[in-house]
Amino acid sequence: MSSSGSLALPPSIEELPLELLHGELVCSGILLSYEEGDGDSSELLSKLEFIGFSTGYRLIERLLRDSPRFKDELDTIKFICKDFWVAVYKKQIDNLRTNHQGTYVLQDNSFKFLSKLSATKQYLEHGPKFLSYTCGIIRGALANLGIASVVIAEISTMPSCRFHITIPRAG
Amino acid sequence: MSTGGNYYFVIVGHHDNPLFEMDFSPTTKEVKKEDHSYLNQFIAHAALDLIDEHVWKTNNMYLKIVDKFNDWFVSAFITGSQIRFIMLHDCKNDDGIKSFFWEMFEMYIKYSMNPFYVQNTKIISPTFEKKSSLYGRKYLVG
Repeated sequence: MSSSGSLALPPSIEELPLELLHGELVCSGILLSYEEGDGDSSELLSKLEFIGFSTGYRLIERLLRDSPRFKDELDTIKFICKDFWVAVYKKQIDNLRTNHQGTYVLQDNSFKFLSKLSATKQYLEHGPKFLSYTCGIIRGALANLGIASVVIAEISTMPSCRFHITIPRAG
Repeated sequence: MSTGGNYYFVIVGHHDNPLFEMDFSPTTKEVKKEDHSYLNQFIAHAALDLIDEHVWKTNNMYLKIVDKFNDWFVSAFITGSQIRFIMLHDCKNDDGIKSFFWEMFEMYIKYSMNPFYVQNTKIISPTFEKKSSLYGRKYLVG
């Protein structure tokens, strides 16, 4: 009978509830859309995106409590890549590219919600559905900072994915 | 000897709408106040432009004194999501006001994380009011 003091869980267990909950949300949404509708999951995806939007909107206020305000857009996107991503997924974005004209590409080589699915082509078709919640989170966070944006995601190989943020320039 | 210790606090949303207002005054001042609340709102509203200018000059959240009207000073605090906290006061109390702003900021964050609260709408919560009057007594008037 080993004596264990406090229940020290390995770090990867902390994120598990969120990953599993999100996975269930998407999967049961897909199954429901097959049962009731015609398998068209675009309504599910826009609901997920909106849920993500509200989440990101509220989350960013809490996360900005201790950091100074941002000088420009690039600083804001860098914050999203580092602190914001760490807060939600416990890791940073692996690659950020920009054309300095309002388009940013964030690459995550091992996206949390996809890493438990597969590392091969098996579920590639369903992969993008797991990204709409995150697109919403990013859009919501930027919206509360006063930046209207469009966020889309794409997967080339599991489990890495890219998020494209487009910020329309005025005039 | 100027009348010391009167404060008017307002949280202003993105559309220049007040989300929360509260007056603080030393406990002994009674019926003497001929309701100047409209004037307070006017001064705070006029200060919004100056606050927007100051926002570009600094990265801090606490903007100290941004404006002055007759004997009222206007201090401001702006959060990351551009919500503005404005304090009208007639005597300098930098430390007290700064601490008060930070406490109100923490409370505002907790309140805005509630999924039932729609951003930029009035804050209606008896706990919020009770806590603000508590902090007001602690940092401003006490």
